[in-house]
Amino acid sequence: MAHLIEKTTEKPTPRSDGKPERGVELPHRAGWVGAVRDWIEERTGLFGFIKHHLDEPMPPGVGWWQTLGNLLLTLLIFQFITGFALAMFYAPTPDHAHESVKHITENVPLGAFIRGLHHWGSSFIMLVVVLHILRVFFWGAYKKPRELTWLVGVAIFQVILAFAFTGYLLIWDQKAYWATVVGTRFASTVPVIGEWLMHFLRGGKEVGALTLTRFYAIHIMLLPVALVLLTAAHLYLVRRLHIAGPVVPQKGAPQPFYPYQLFRDAVVVLVGMGLLMTCALLFKPPLYPVADPSGTAFTPRPEWYFLGLYELLKLMPPKLEVLGTVVIPGLVAIGMILLPWLDRSPSRHPAYRKWVIDVGLIVIFLIGTLTLKGILSEPPEVIPQSTSVSSSTTGSR
Amino acid sequence: MRSNGLEYQQQQPDSPIRRRVLSWLVGLINLGVIVGFIAPVLGFISSPARRRREPGEWVPVLNAHELKPGETRAVTYSLMVKDGYTTAEHRYSVYLYHRSDGTILAFDPSCPHLGCRVEFKERKQRYVCPCHGGVFDTEGNLVSGPPPTGLTKLPVRVDGGKIWIQRV
Ligand code: HEM
Ligand code: FES
Repeated sequence: MAHLIEKTTEKPTPRSDGKPERGVELPHRAGWVGAVRDWIEERTGLFGFIKHHLDEPMPPGVGWWQTLGNLLLTLLIFQFITGFALAMFYAPTPDHAHESVKHITENVPLGAFIRGLHHWGSSFIMLVVVLHILRVFFWGAYKKPRELTWLVGVAIFQVILAFAFTGYLLIWDQKAYWATVVGTRFASTVPVIGEWLMHFLRGGKEVGALTLTRFYAIHIMLLPVALVLLTAAHLYLVRRLHIAGPVVPQKGAPQPFYPYQLFRDAVVVLVGMGLLMTCALLFKPPLYPVADPSGTAFTPRPEWYFLGLYELLKLMPPKLEVLGTVVIPGLVAIGMILLPWLDRSPSRHPAYRKWVIDVGLIVIFLIGTLTLKGILSEPPEVIPQSTSVSSSTTGSR
Repeated sequence: MRSNGLEYQQQQPDSPIRRRVLSWLVGLINLGVIVGFIAPVLGFISSPARRRREPGEWVPVLNAHELKPGETRAVTYSLMVKDGYTTAEHRYSVYLYHRSDGTILAFDPSCPHLGCRVEFKERKQRYVCPCHGGVFDTEGNLVSGPPPTGLTKLPVRVDGGKIWIQRV
């Protein structure tokens, strides 16, 4: 098969439009570094691929607002690394989970810092993902042809919420336990299959050993794989469709991604990660007493990013809690999924999609108010025990 | 198009029916393999949800004379419970109320709304849920707030000087 051997030494065949298949010529580079590079390039096209993406032209007017996605990506990679490190010291059983987290925080060198990075990292991720979504919303960047980029982004957001919900239980303290008791009860308000769904999530009737292993398996296997696949799809689409640019096209020549936008990305990453590291250095991640199903002196409250939902439930009339647990959150999710089709206006300009912007602003205002209300109404975490005495008897079985 | 060295070989004569049948078979085989694989996995991970409920057992929680007439009190008790792969001692609590007519009511402290643990406020003689503000009276009836019903009553009996409750 002399024919095949011949082929490998050939330059890629030009496409009909005259561009070489990989689209990029690498600058000549002498010496052995250049030789190694060319050897790899010939077989993989890797450096051409990188150069192609570094040279990607950015429409004039792309700037700081477009750095949030990159910051989110960096935070997620760091979250993965700290999570992997924590998993080496963590034991997902009711007997040992709390103890192992305590051990990480108090005895393992740098343990409080690494756990702090993961703990505060989840709040940073939540904040940045919301900012990123708002940026895309106000820029109208979900419109044709970017509908699927938006859809994949909505899926990533759901995965991040699931990460936060499942990770929260792992430390097995009072706060985690009660937040999960309430959180999984949400499922039971679903009509017909609710009860089964709750038992499926919990791995039994009560939140216990099997809930912990379930959440652990989801948190460290299912969600990371889902996140990697979705993120890859998201980035592929972002690059294939190019960045949307300002709503009103600006005059001027496009700038290449490298070094201009990449520099802004780097600055934002520096600031973001710097803040995260400062938080992790200054504030020890909290750990309440170990989970106690009979605990009398604990007011369960979720993490701040779920407080809006928590406040919403307070407003629901009796017998209609399904509105707050399933219907309203479900409508928000469906609204996000359908947004590119609900918004029929071909223009990305806010003035030409008034009702979408108005509804968006109202939803943002409501969620913001509820969250703020939740944060401000923070009651004392430990309520004094009521005067009735607790006595203890051991039951037989 | 890039060459893969195959263009010199003659394509086999093809029949559209054969192609269609083969692609159906490929689909069928893959579907069979996937379903045959996923079904036991789903059965495995959903098995804890299918477990039948055992009838609640009776547990002695307090000496009968300790509960004064008109009094409501929280009592904690421990039980050995099978929890997945372990059997562990779990602590639970129950509210007991000694009514004026001498009968005793027992309430599951978990709120019928979303399961937080309700707290009895001695001064107001009301149960208050710290989560979303559900309020119940001493008889367990809903007074206000989002819970759909009153507190869950547990069967009680007094036997051998002890108050027994039946777990749900
Ligand atoms: C991608 C890989 C990830 C792995 C392997 C991982 C692993 C872990 C482990 C082992 C723990 C228990 C140790 C501890 O509590 O400190 C944990 C806790 C936690 N995880 Fe993750 N995690 C990952 C991603 C994420 C993401 C993306 C988020 C959120 C957006 C998140 C949110 C949390 C939260 C809130 C906790 C409780 C932390 C605390 O309060 O200290 N995790 N994770
Ligand atoms: S759980 Fe008690 S009011 Fe919601």
